[in-house]
Amino acid sequence: MSVSRDDFSIAFRSALLQRGATQKFSIFSLIILAIVIFFLDVYGFKAIKTTRSFINDVVYRVTYLASTPTRIFPGIHQGIASHFNLKKENEELRQVIERYKSLDLNLEYISNENKNLKKVLDTENVESVSNVVLAKVLVDRNSPFLKSIIINKGSKEDIVKGMPVTQNKYLIGRIVETNYLSSRVLLLNDLNSRIPVTFDDKSTQAILTGGGTRKPTLSYLPEDFQFKEGITVFASGKDGIFTAGTPIGKTTDYGAVELFVDPNQLSYVTVNLIKPSKEVF
Amino acid sequence: MAKLNIVQKLFAAGPLILLYYLSISEIDTNLEKLFEVFSLNLQIIIIYFWIIKRPNLMGPGHIFLAGLINDVVMGFPLGISSLSYLLVCFVGNYVRNKSVNTTIASDWFTFFIALIFANLLFFTLLNNFSEVAISYAKIGYNTFFTLFMFPVFWLLFNFYKISFIGSQDA
Repeated sequence: MSVSRDDFSIAFRSALLQRGATQKFSIFSLIILAIVIFFLDVYGFKAIKTTRSFINDVVYRVTYLASTPTRIFPGIHQGIASHFNLKKENEELRQVIERYKSLDLNLEYISNENKNLKKVLDTENVESVSNVVLAKVLVDRNSPFLKSIIINKGSKEDIVKGMPVTQNKYLIGRIVETNYLSSRVLLLNDLNSRIPVTFDDKSTQAILTGGGTRKPTLSYLPEDFQFKEGITVFASGKDGIFTAGTPIGKTTDYGAVELFVDPNQLSYVTVNLIKPSKEVF
Repeated sequence: MAKLNIVQKLFAAGPLILLYYLSISEIDTNLEKLFEVFSLNLQIIIIYFWIIKRPNLMGPGHIFLAGLINDVVMGFPLGISSLSYLLVCFVGNYVRNKSVNTTIASDWFTFFIALIFANLLFFTLLNNFSEVAISYAKIGYNTFFTLFMFPVFWLLFNFYKISFIGSQDA
């Protein structure tokens, strides 16, 4: 029995402390180092935050370079495919232009109607956002746990935590981490994402809740609410973070929201430099 | 002869390069576009296999660094992936010290223990010391598929080891 216990302790100690010929560190010393780094980072000392911000900027750029092959090869394939589909694409684009021309006429009418209705309601005039920063997506790593992207603009461009991020005016998420030259954007489908939204002709209020899946869901709805498919969901702006009326997606018949922008297909995004009225995260 | 040595060194560095590349690049093993719940932690499989078979190719210093890089890229608190990887490394070392001959079945069983310890530590720390919320269902799927896919990667890595590095185990 004692022999077996000795055996166990020898194997245990050896596994923790042994260093091979080419190994400079024992596992034990590295575990201690990892624990120290973890707690320094979690309890957020200023020096560590600055160091982490610098490390983030460097690693994100290396990640961008390292991921170049994965971006180039699908791009070449798409380029060849699109070359052969030019004629068909041209016809489709002509049809789209015609459709947009007719929509443009409608838009002018609706804009005027909207202005008049706002005057009637005597509400605060919501100015269109002109102070925006265009950013390139550096890293779009699809984690099973966190749905976020890294963009190439940071605190140097006056980006702060909480700012909304859009693509083609569609809301895609908000800034949750800023470094000097890069930022992390939490996407709407992340488990940690909660956005107040409004939709349908009754201006129903709800919270858009990310679930880590592709489609976020609507929660905190009125009792006995019946879901209808294809209704556009907008940010309500009640949190003082997102601009009211920013389109997000369309409802499905089971309470999820099909986002207008596929979170896995982001290349360029726009950060709206609106300072949130409260600290986020 | 010198040329052959460089090629051999490159092959021997293959697992470590793969580990670093998986940590730093956009490449992921989360195939949710094809199958919504499928995700696996290939880094843990790589570390465990090579620590058991060829520990000299996978030093703990490199494992620690790969974990730190992974944390930065994924947005986790620094050191959390390193801790879970080092725990896998520790279990692998222990199993190697205690066993003479290992088979795919015995490695699979001991990998299960390493994976449970590593994921338990990872998610306990994340849950208690971070504001990041994580779906327990996703953790379960990730653990299941990582365990389920281990024999496939065991065979692949074993083939690589026999073909390019040499068949003799550590």
